[in-house]
Amino acid sequence: MKRRSPAGGAGSLRWRLLTAVGIAVLLLWIFTGWFSYHQSGHEAEELMDGNLAQTGRLLMAIVEDNEAQLGPLAARLATVRGAADNVYEPPLEFQIGRGDGTILARSANAPDLPVLGVTDYSDIIRATGSWRVLNVASTDGRYRVQVSQSIALRDIAALEVAERTILPLALISPILILLIYFSIRSGLRPLDTLAGDVATRSPDNLAPLDKKPVPTEARPLVTALNRLLARLGRTLENERRFTADAAHELRTPLAALKVQTQVARRSRDATLRDHALGQIESGVDRATHLVEQLLRLARLDPLKSVESAAPIDLRAILTEAAGQARNASPPAAQKIIETYPPGDLISHGDADLIGIAIRNLLDNAIRYTQSEHTVWLEASTGADGYTLSVRDNGPGVPPATLARLGERFYRGRETSAEGNGLGLAIVTRVAELHGARFEVANAPGGGFVASMAGLPARRPASA
Amino acid sequence: MRILLVEDDKLLGDGIRAGLMLASYAVDWVRDGEMALRALTDHSYDACVLDLGLPKKDGIAVLRELRQRNNRTPVIVLTARDTKNDKIIGLDSGADHYLTKPFDLGELEAHIRAVVRRAGDVVQPLLVHRGVTLDPASKQASIDGKPVPLSGREYALLLDFMSHPEHLRSRTQLEESLYAWGEEVESNALEVYIHHLRKKLGADFIQTVRGLGYRLRSDAK
Repeated sequence: MKRRSPAGGAGSLRWRLLTAVGIAVLLLWIFTGWFSYHQSGHEAEELMDGNLAQTGRLLMAIVEDNEAQLGPLAARLATVRGAADNVYEPPLEFQIGRGDGTILARSANAPDLPVLGVTDYSDIIRATGSWRVLNVASTDGRYRVQVSQSIALRDIAALEVAERTILPLALISPILILLIYFSIRSGLRPLDTLAGDVATRSPDNLAPLDKKPVPTEARPLVTALNRLLARLGRTLENERRFTADAAHELRTPLAALKVQTQVARRSRDATLRDHALGQIESGVDRATHLVEQLLRLARLDPLKSVESAAPIDLRAILTEAAGQARNASPPAAQKIIETYPPGDLISHGDADLIGIAIRNLLDNAIRYTQSEHTVWLEASTGADGYTLSVRDNGPGVPPATLARLGERFYRGRETSAEGNGLGLAIVTRVAELHGARFEVANAPGGGFVASMAGLPARRPASA
Repeated sequence: MRILLVEDDKLLGDGIRAGLMLASYAVDWVRDGEMALRALTDHSYDACVLDLGLPKKDGIAVLRELRQRNNRTPVIVLTARDTKNDKIIGLDSGADHYLTKPFDLGELEAHIRAVVRRAGDVVQPLLVHRGVTLDPASKQASIDGKPVPLSGREYALLLDFMSHPEHLRSRTQLEESLYAWGEEVESNALEVYIHHLRKKLGADFIQTVRGLGYRLRSDAK
């Protein structure tokens, strides 16, 4: 129950709510108590004042009609006392006198005051005691009646009344606090359930959380969590795919080398052995190419932009790449058609990297199409710079795998052509480093087109 | 023994085929999942060596579909994926054995022998019939302990007979077991090999069932 968050942080929601509501209730309680206390004390005083006035007038009436018997009457009246054990009936003292100030009769404990004071309420404070006093004069002015009450006793009565008024409030408040505590606890229980649900999950379980039992206020949290879980799931899936693809691309050439070596060793037949040795050689070439591509990617990965950027002639790079493909051994079986716009094609970047990227794209097109197909090497100028494309009229790529092209070690096309799935990853990286985009699509009329779009048309301002 | 090899990598596939052919297996090699399923449906193989990372149809999908069709061909899976989970998925999808690349050719052959043995309900690694013993591991035959040298085809033919000691083997069955696709079969080659085996193992070891094929002479007669 008293679990609090470790140092700092927002602390427990439950305790924050409880403290806030508790303080609010306490303040309200103190204010109400203070107000009721004063109000009821005041009311009690008014009641007692009323009592005083009534008694004064009653005494006056008795005196006026019974002047002859005033002597015995005064003695009789002096015996009328408040009940000692009843605080609401504080003892009432009186003096009866004539208009000239002579005292006719008085109660035993009446304060020694002149009866000719102002005919109104007054508080008389003396060292011997304080009194609430009311002087009443008869209409003809012949008689004076003075009634008085000890202020100390009146205060005790008023206090008693006030205390009784606020007592229920004091009794109720702990119950109220307890009720608040339990409602906060039950109100926050769905959050505890949610936390428990998340905490007891196995790390592999990335299924979305159930939104139904969660209160509306916490739903955005669950939605955000679910979004995070989904993203995490995708990342993990990518990672898993990458590991599987990489394992395939790295281990298969090794497996081939091992098997071919064993075949060569076992072959008694010279032709068979030569064939196996030839295969080993091409296997080593392939592994070498793979290692080169890997190293190239490793070198490009940490870069944020091209290291040695300079003005480069795209036309020269494209022409050279096409020439290399035509003159490779074996030369490309496909026809390679170059289409460039007139005028200079001067961009800014690293000529070697652009050359590698273009060769990779050409290589790809040649590898995944047949001799009856054609490969187009094209350049165009647009608002965002130059676009270099390699297009073919081959079988194209299934739409589902288009998005994954450019992922490392992913081989998209559904053929058994040799490749290591790094070529397009390198093109992607080269495009990024030049502030350009690597784009792939199936050509409208059939075939596949891969481009680097948005190569800078001039030296970028920031460079 | 006829093996279907499903491997998309040219270099590795070529090596495995050459290795298995050196071990006197007839090997058909296909390079994608769809071709593999077609081959497995159209022909009967003693075993299939299946790579998992295949174009067109993933190896696991091939395996599942194969088992769904109640095809019992023993399958040895070759894969670069070596996590525990991948192995579990592979075996649970119907693979009989699992080899991680790179692997040893000798190990692959031993796995093939094991799955073939199990598929034929054979417990003994040595095949024995009327005094003739054939050891598929060393590819050595012997009569009453004396070794009998055999050529590759002769060994393959004898292995086929001794793997089905009770059965009549038709000419087509024997040829399918000896030759992969595209291998040239001379018209009387089978008769020549049987003639050689009879010379080495005894004239009545293999009987001709006229018009139907050949069988091993049983002990009862």
